[in-house]
Amino acid sequence: MKDLKHIRYYEDLLELADNELVRKAKEEGGVAVGYTCYYIPEALLNTGRAFTVRLRAPNTGSLDISQYYMSSFICGYSRALFERAFEGGYNFMDFYASSDTCQQMVRVVENLHELDISDNPNFTYGIIDSPLKISEHGIKLYIEQVKKEYIKPLSEKFGVDFSEDSVRKAIAEHNEMCAVFEEISEIRKEDNPRITPREFHILCMVSYCCPTGLILPYLKETLEDLRNREADAVSPWRKRVVVVGSEIDDYAFDEILENCRCYVAADRYCFGAFPGRQQIVLNDEEPAIDQVCRYYLKSCQCPRFMSQEKVQERRDYLKKLVDDYKADGIIYEQAKFCDFWGYERTLNTQVMQEEYGVPTLGIDREYVVRGSGQLSTRVQAFMESLEIKTIQKGGH
Amino acid sequence: MKTDKIKELAARYLCPSREKGDADRYQDGTAIEIHREWRGLADTAYDYTQWCKLWGTLIKWVAAHPVQDVKAIWRYRWMFSYLTVPSFFDRLTQGQKGAALRATRNNLNYLAEHVTENLDIILSADMNLHPGSKKAEELNKKIICTDELLPALIGKGFPNCKQVLYQMIPMYLPSLINQHSPVHYIGQSEIHGLPADVCPLPSFEAGLAIEDDFPKIGCCMLTSNMPCDGSIMTTMIQDRRIGLPTNVLNVPLRWLRDEVQEYAVAEFEEAIKFIEDHTGEKFDWDAFKQACEIWNQQNECKFEKWELNKTAIPPHTGAAAWLYRIFEHQKVCGEPKALANDRKVNAILQKQVAEGKCPKTIKHRAILWNTPCNNYANFNNWLLECWGVDSVVEMIDLHGDMLIDTSSHESMLLGAAKMYQTSTMRAHTKGGYEQMVYTLWEKYEEYDCDMLIMFDQISCKGVGAISGLFEEGARARGIKMCTVRQDLMDPTSITRRDMRRDVNIFMQTVMGETPVDPTLVDFDDDQSW
Repeated sequence: MKDLKHIRYYEDLLELADNELVRKAKEEGGVAVGYTCYYIPEALLNTGRAFTVRLRAPNTGSLDISQYYMSSFICGYSRALFERAFEGGYNFMDFYASSDTCQQMVRVVENLHELDISDNPNFTYGIIDSPLKISEHGIKLYIEQVKKEYIKPLSEKFGVDFSEDSVRKAIAEHNEMCAVFEEISEIRKEDNPRITPREFHILCMVSYCCPTGLILPYLKETLEDLRNREADAVSPWRKRVVVVGSEIDDYAFDEILENCRCYVAADRYCFGAFPGRQQIVLNDEEPAIDQVCRYYLKSCQCPRFMSQEKVQERRDYLKKLVDDYKADGIIYEQAKFCDFWGYERTLNTQVMQEEYGVPTLGIDREYVVRGSGQLSTRVQAFMESLEIKTIQKGGH
Repeated sequence: MKTDKIKELAARYLCPSREKGDADRYQDGTAIEIHREWRGLADTAYDYTQWCKLWGTLIKWVAAHPVQDVKAIWRYRWMFSYLTVPSFFDRLTQGQKGAALRATRNNLNYLAEHVTENLDIILSADMNLHPGSKKAEELNKKIICTDELLPALIGKGFPNCKQVLYQMIPMYLPSLINQHSPVHYIGQSEIHGLPADVCPLPSFEAGLAIEDDFPKIGCCMLTSNMPCDGSIMTTMIQDRRIGLPTNVLNVPLRWLRDEVQEYAVAEFEEAIKFIEDHTGEKFDWDAFKQACEIWNQQNECKFEKWELNKTAIPPHTGAAAWLYRIFEHQKVCGEPKALANDRKVNAILQKQVAEGKCPKTIKHRAILWNTPCNNYANFNNWLLECWGVDSVVEMIDLHGDMLIDTSSHESMLLGAAKMYQTSTMRAHTKGGYEQMVYTLWEKYEEYDCDMLIMFDQISCKGVGAISGLFEEGARARGIKMCTVRQDLMDPTSITRRDMRRDVNIFMQTVMGETPVDPTLVDFDDDQSW
């Protein structure tokens, strides 16, 4: 297939956390809100002058400094963020919206604070305490925490307008972007899809890492290009999978899969599209802030939710993705040292296989996966096993 | 046995002073004592009497249900660990004399008494041991299982029910009693794909669930998010295998915040309703109030102990203090017998301090931070005996220090919810890094310490992620900090000997010290319980 429109530009944008569009938004008086987790209601924090930047540490190399401050047994993503902050890579960030949901992640912002790392004189942060199950009092707590820890400092210190109109306008823009992804996701269902996993991951990441208002016009043009794009005559893909697991912000992961001719039909990981790139429907009766908070809490698929119904919901959600996106298998991936996904992967690689009948591969990986031969070997073997299963069933 | 060996043993018994140091009594490899410790006539006699009392408790327990207990030993691998309890108690009293010895023996013997009663409840109702038994079925209708990190206070509101801290008997206590007990279960978890870097505690629990080695008891299960991310996730595996109806008691993490308390209370109320629904019992506010008041008095006894340890004669240090604190906070909170034991122990300790006696060699006063190592519970005894380092204050001992206001139902719920939030480990590892870091510097000053022993529990990510702050904080304050690596309850990654080596190097190089007992500097106890 020919190159997707703007794909090179997107790649450039992903080379830096403080990319061209982030700088532009800052120059226009925007307030940069960094965040790392689905527990943080991204759409809400794109209100008024505020814009969100999901934090990454592209081109991570040595992690020596973070290893000293955070030990070597901490997930690579957390350490890479700290290292990048220590190097001054997040000085553009005015506000860090954090959550005490994964302790390794919350320690990043706590270290930043204690060591006074940011050079940005306006820098401040908020940490929410979020429930691990869905209940009315849990939703109430979550809404209150978001208001106190994020909305209050953003409006009082930075003058961000969180009025009802302003929030609804932000959600409308968010929905406009999600509509783009919903349509692209439909393309992924095709037998010979017109978008590659790598391209989709790049699109998804720029949507998280750039100000929505500035990236949206580009994404719309890319969608238009996709509508008219023609697939290769013969599908290069051997099998289709759903990838689920820890945060992946290195699209080299998809390149490894692509080299094994493995198609990622749906992505249920942090920085992926499920959940996160679906429209939020608001009613007119309830305040928009409350509705958005409820939406994020209820739709969250983090393994941290420990009540039995949420555990079950996660498996059902995954099975639905497998069915809707015509996937042949699931790849459970876990960032090394991630407790949450370590347990989830362990159990669900067996449950999804034995009880849902979906062939499942469980892998763990480093934060930076580029050039991982081990990963490639495992995916290759998984592809072969899926093909053998097809042959055994009389297919080809 | 050879004649010279007999002569040697006889000489040791008859003339213990011939020994150069404590390790001379140890067998090679196991460090099991060849004979009991000589502590002077009065203390040796006291120790021996209390040791006999422990045997009495154990024999009484076995005699009550001999067949059931033998069946349990064959059914559950972890039950074997309980056969070594006398040796465990001896390890925790190593080197102790005077009030410290008496306090330790009283605490431990009360613990043994309570645990054997608990074992009776569990084993009598265990459907694995009594398949199809109507009697066991009836017992189970009134057994409330809760995660072991949830204090047993909530169960006091259900006086007709028995509350069982589900993992305490199969997991927590065996990990302390026998260092090898977790190895098999952790291995099972890892065989099933669990990463080896997760904390051994939840991994041990997951292994028990995978092996179906939890007793089959109870009518419902109260789980929780305590104390850490690993514990949250192991619940998923346990829930699946245990198969009881469960409710998550979600305890807020940023527990210092006033605005999370309403949620904490709502969760507590939801848990009460859940138990009511499954046991058919009504929450008894009077019984709960009584338990809260007893707990307050127990806590006040603990405050006194902390104050005594601030004196030049710290009388209550080591595992006898921290282990008992955990046991009391989690399991016997609100128990009249526990309060009676506290009062007895406090009187003993106060007497010694008032008399100004100090029957131990204290060269350094240390603060021990982060979670202690379960597979080396007598590490404190070794520190004191070998290097004269007395652990006058420990993080694991300092939690749940708020009294419960019993003036109304609302205030009791709020107090109990706060107690849960400041439970074992959680009081410092949650609530923000300040709780873990700043409290350390405060306590260091408060207890007049001259060194810090920092446990580097390698699989504890929440603490590992702020390890640099400890290093920098200690350096800025001129505090001598000894980092001791350990892996909580996995002796295959870091052994007791490795831990001792970390201390030895520090004491010799940084502190420039000579050991109080050179025989204890290096010995092999890898094969020990």
